[in-house]
Amino acid sequence: MSENTQTAPATTGGFAGDPAAALAVTGSGSCCGSPAQAVGSILPPAGEALTAGPCCGTAQAAEAAGSCCGTEPKTEAVNAGQGCCG
Amino acid sequence: MTPPSGSAGVDAILARVSAGRMAATVTTLASDDFTGRRVGTDGGAAARAWLAGHLTALGATVDTDEFPVRAVPEVYAAPTVVWGEGSASTLLVFGRQVAVHSASCDANEVRRGPLGVAGSGDPTHRWLVVPTGMSLFDAYADAQGAAGLLVSRAVDADGWQYTTLAGPDPGPLPILALGADTHRAVLAAAPTGRGWLSGNTPLRRRDVTGTNIHATFHPAPPGGVDLLLTAHYDGVGDHPDLRQPGAADNASGVAVVLEAARILSAARPPGVGLCVALLDAEEVGALGSAHHSRRLRASDAHPLVINVDGAGLLDKAAAVEAGGPAHALLALLDQAGRHTGVPLAAGPVASDNRRYAAAGLPAVGIGAGMGGYHSPADTPDRVDPDTLRAIARLVVATACLAVPAPATLPS
Repeated sequence: MSENTQTAPATTGGFAGDPAAALAVTGSGSCCGSPAQAVGSILPPAGEALTAGPCCGTAQAAEAAGSCCGTEPKTEAVNAGQGCCG
Repeated sequence: MTPPSGSAGVDAILARVSAGRMAATVTTLASDDFTGRRVGTDGGAAARAWLAGHLTALGATVDTDEFPVRAVPEVYAAPTVVWGEGSASTLLVFGRQVAVHSASCDANEVRRGPLGVAGSGDPTHRWLVVPTGMSLFDAYADAQGAAGLLVSRAVDADGWQYTTLAGPDPGPLPILALGADTHRAVLAAAPTGRGWLSGNTPLRRRDVTGTNIHATFHPAPPGGVDLLLTAHYDGVGDHPDLRQPGAADNASGVAVVLEAARILSAARPPGVGLCVALLDAEEVGALGSAHHSRRLRASDAHPLVINVDGAGLLDKAAAVEAGGPAHALLALLDQAGRHTGVPLAAGPVASDNRRYAAAGLPAVGIGAGMGGYHSPADTPDRVDPDTLRAIARLVVATACLAVPAPATLPS
């Protein structure tokens, strides 16, 4: 179900850069169920993850909503045609 | 079997990877008998029985673990949707021009009404076209007594509206998602006073039971590496008269894990324990892995988790997302990538790996492409055998390189 998965060019096996960048993937705080990226597309650069979970929005908003996801970001995700956990 | 040693030994093990065997697994899991493998369906149960038998035949001790799954959406009949202007009419094609929106209420009876525009005019008995950019919350505000809402939705490169199961609770009205071209035409017809639409939204939600499959091949020796290979076997499921085979998502990932387990269980790299979890209910919010990760935490187990989500078509590099204390695992994966020639790059893999990582386990997700995401176009012929082979080799090499000298990242 993931948004996946083809990434920046690499000519040899293994990571072209620092493998630890995989620990801080931009967008890893977003929804489950996002559409697959087009094959060969360039994904956003690694950066600080917004949340640690597979859900929409912040952990605080999710807790307030009694759900995996915050109500508002979940609604926004659905309106945008994306899925969202919880 | 005595495992070969050294780099040549790893290569000998890798030579056993069979793309043909994995392609056959993908074809089986995507077949009509398994009906797209949605959680809680007969097709899902049939797939589970087949997989459990397969793992048992490989020599594993297999058991299953159930958990509740609430409100799984199911389109139980193809909606019949016709729109027109005056006497002219167009029957819309389900799955392409029209789909039932995941926030829709269940309304199986066809409603016919004039077209209106959400937010303007009297909504009573009208199908209200929601202009692009207007949220559903705003559309609901002036929709009292409306027949339903019509929202715009993009279609994919194959012209399908992809299916998602993880979504909102149902709202008060029928909602139909129209392909962008259809939405534009209907929106243009609404102000003329001659536009109309008849349609229904047969969408129910079922509380079901999800079931994970666990296979233990051999435990890790003291001081060894405990390796857990995972992939979700569920899919979004077929619609009535519309198959959604789920070949790349995620029969391909399951095929890779089965092939890696087959090879590693025979080769038994020294010091490496091997377990497999084939997970249910990923498509409704990664619930199978959430359940399993809680169990692991409760049992104080700390395996290295490698999750495969999509091995359909590797182009430039496979995406790797890691979480938890995964530095050493990433270093191993990097070594394995170099050994096998599989390029890797940090990228989002929004799947079960996140649940394990959130539970504090070292976890990586590997994604290598999906064609026809969540649509009828996710067929076995679009799963590239070379990609299956590459990702299986990557996983097997990671396990083989895990001992005797685990790598570490430079500080």
